[in-house]
Amino acid sequence: MKRKALYVSVLIALSQLGGCASLGVQPWERDLLAKDEMELGAEGIDLGLDDHIYFSKEATSGGRSFAGGGCGCN
Amino acid sequence: MRHFSRITRKLCLPVLIVTTLLTQGVMAKQPAPDLLLTTATGQHKLSDYQGQVVYLDFWASWCKPCQRSFPWMNAMQQKYAGRGFTVVAINVDTDRKLADQFLAMLPATFPVAFDPEGTAPALYKVPGMPTSYLIDHTGQLRLAHQGFHIQKQNQYEQEIVTLLEEMESSQ
Amino acid sequence: MQLNHKGSIATALAGATCALLGQSPAHADTDSSVLKDWKFDTAILYYGETDRVSLAESVISATKTNNDDSIFNVKLVLDTLTGASANGAVPQPAVQTFSRPSGKDSYQVAAGETPLDDTFRDTRVQVASSWMQPFAETWRGTAGINVSREYDYMSLGVNGLLEKDLFQRNTTLSAGLSYQFDSIDPVGGKPTPLSSMLIPSDNSDADEDTGQYSKNGSDNKTTMDLLFGVTQVINRRMLMQFNYGLSVVDGYTTDPYKVLSVIDANGVTQDIIYENRPDTRTRHSFFWQTKYALDSGVADVSYRFATDDWDINSHTIDSRLRFNLSDRSYIQPHFRYYQQSAADFYQPFVNQSAPLPMYASADYRVGEMTAYTVGLKYGRELDNGHEWAVRAEYYQQDPKNAGFDQPGVLADLDLYPSVKAVILQFNYHF
Repeated sequence: MKRKALYVSVLIALSQLGGCASLGVQPWERDLLAKDEMELGAEGIDLGLDDHIYFSKEATSGGRSFAGGGCGCN
Repeated sequence: MRHFSRITRKLCLPVLIVTTLLTQGVMAKQPAPDLLLTTATGQHKLSDYQGQVVYLDFWASWCKPCQRSFPWMNAMQQKYAGRGFTVVAINVDTDRKLADQFLAMLPATFPVAFDPEGTAPALYKVPGMPTSYLIDHTGQLRLAHQGFHIQKQNQYEQEIVTLLEEMESSQ
Repeated sequence: MQLNHKGSIATALAGATCALLGQSPAHADTDSSVLKDWKFDTAILYYGETDRVSLAESVISATKTNNDDSIFNVKLVLDTLTGASANGAVPQPAVQTFSRPSGKDSYQVAAGETPLDDTFRDTRVQVASSWMQPFAETWRGTAGINVSREYDYMSLGVNGLLEKDLFQRNTTLSAGLSYQFDSIDPVGGKPTPLSSMLIPSDNSDADEDTGQYSKNGSDNKTTMDLLFGVTQVINRRMLMQFNYGLSVVDGYTTDPYKVLSVIDANGVTQDIIYENRPDTRTRHSFFWQTKYALDSGVADVSYRFATDDWDINSHTIDSRLRFNLSDRSYIQPHFRYYQQSAADFYQPFVNQSAPLPMYASADYRVGEMTAYTVGLKYGRELDNGHEWAVRAEYYQQDPKNAGFDQPGVLADLDLYPSVKAVILQFNYHF
């Protein structure tokens, strides 16, 4: 039951991500996204330390990656 | 460190040859869409610069490569203004305060216009920050560059010189 | 120099990427003073559990951004672990005696207390390095290596990540691969799975030999991780990421220092045996993260679901809410909730009357559990552009009974004690 609900929510999330035309911003509208604190891997040191703690105290680890985001500059 | 960059330099060469063949920065000759330029002191038009070679630069305070381009644009302005060249920079920040902070750190010796509404970049369909366009003395768009790469400064400068020579030989 | 075909301004655009051809080296140095090449992130962390383990960890990370926007990073981590951790045995109404991992010494646990092995003292050194190279306008490739060394442990890993930007960089696809080789050389040797822990008596000479009888040698494991991700800019304020991860572990996954109590019908311990875990583990994880830019701050919420063939399913919610107090300072509350189900081989003890299972572990970390973290961080930027931050957090683990009876004397004892810890951290960025 729980698993089914999860798959449905994952599907919904995926469909939201799909290349829908209304998503996204123009290249000159990235002022907020370009902020350091808006990077997915912002505070990488904290995330790394947390990972180390939870890796040794819990049965699951990982899952996160730091791809994407940022100012979209060249 | 030098070691690492030497390795990447080697790795990059094949990629580079392919990409330079594919992308030259040259664009179809077409009239540069005219723009109303709002500077700190007043308003004028892009077409007012006709008769000069214009380096039109779209930039934002939050764009890191833009920080690299400012010293170079100042140098170009100083070197070629006498031959009928100017940089025109259009800032696209929505918050003017941030643009002013940037300019306080990296003062510009060329005209800077502010376009918080993003009208100009929308008209030019600017694909990324920064993007620069070279406009010849007849007001035609000739070249475009996305991004600012320190390694390509010589190439950028040569392109300006080519358009200046073209202008000089037509006179 | 001119082209005849008509194209839109955007499509006619160009600009090669890692274009390093033909530039004079002198130009590489004409960088502005605003753009600093090297950036350093440093942190020290203290993690302390009530009556149990404490950890001191320091990190220094150096990042260099090159003129072609490639990024080099090297990170050094040093940590020291001391204190006691649960060995897996159940508490008893009487004093219990256990062998230390070396097999040459023993320790006693008071009546009614959760058995903790206080032998642990370890120092770890880890070095990791990576290089990110943008290429062909919209691609990025990252390669990394890491080495980690402890007294009884050595780990070597390589990883690679490929990213591709689409739709004016509003969508990023990524695919990553990592391979890790771990080698463990347990103190006193690797115990024979499910064999009895021998307690050295006062008469030491003879027992030193027998103590090592069931422990022998070292072992290793490999971990292969695959990661596929999509990052999507939703609007000017919102960014979303979805990752799927596959992790395959092959080799020695057993904790050589963990044991189980073998009890009789009255719950009284008759024997202590070493645990044994399957030698493979396959895990799927689904990770979703959203970042939202507030007028003065950032909301960051993530959710992770993981499921594996040990039957451990876990849910993690992690959220950070940054409020800018001024242009140069912020506070950031942190909340994390974690929940996991028990591994199929988890059991809090072994019944003497039941047949011995093939795999068994009483390690609460593979049992049913919930955990939460609450914390607060304060950060400030200095006049010289440097930044510092402090973080204080409270972490509590609440192991749960996954439906096991507690016969006889165990009925009145706490087999699932909570673990409480504080985390203190100081960061400095320059």
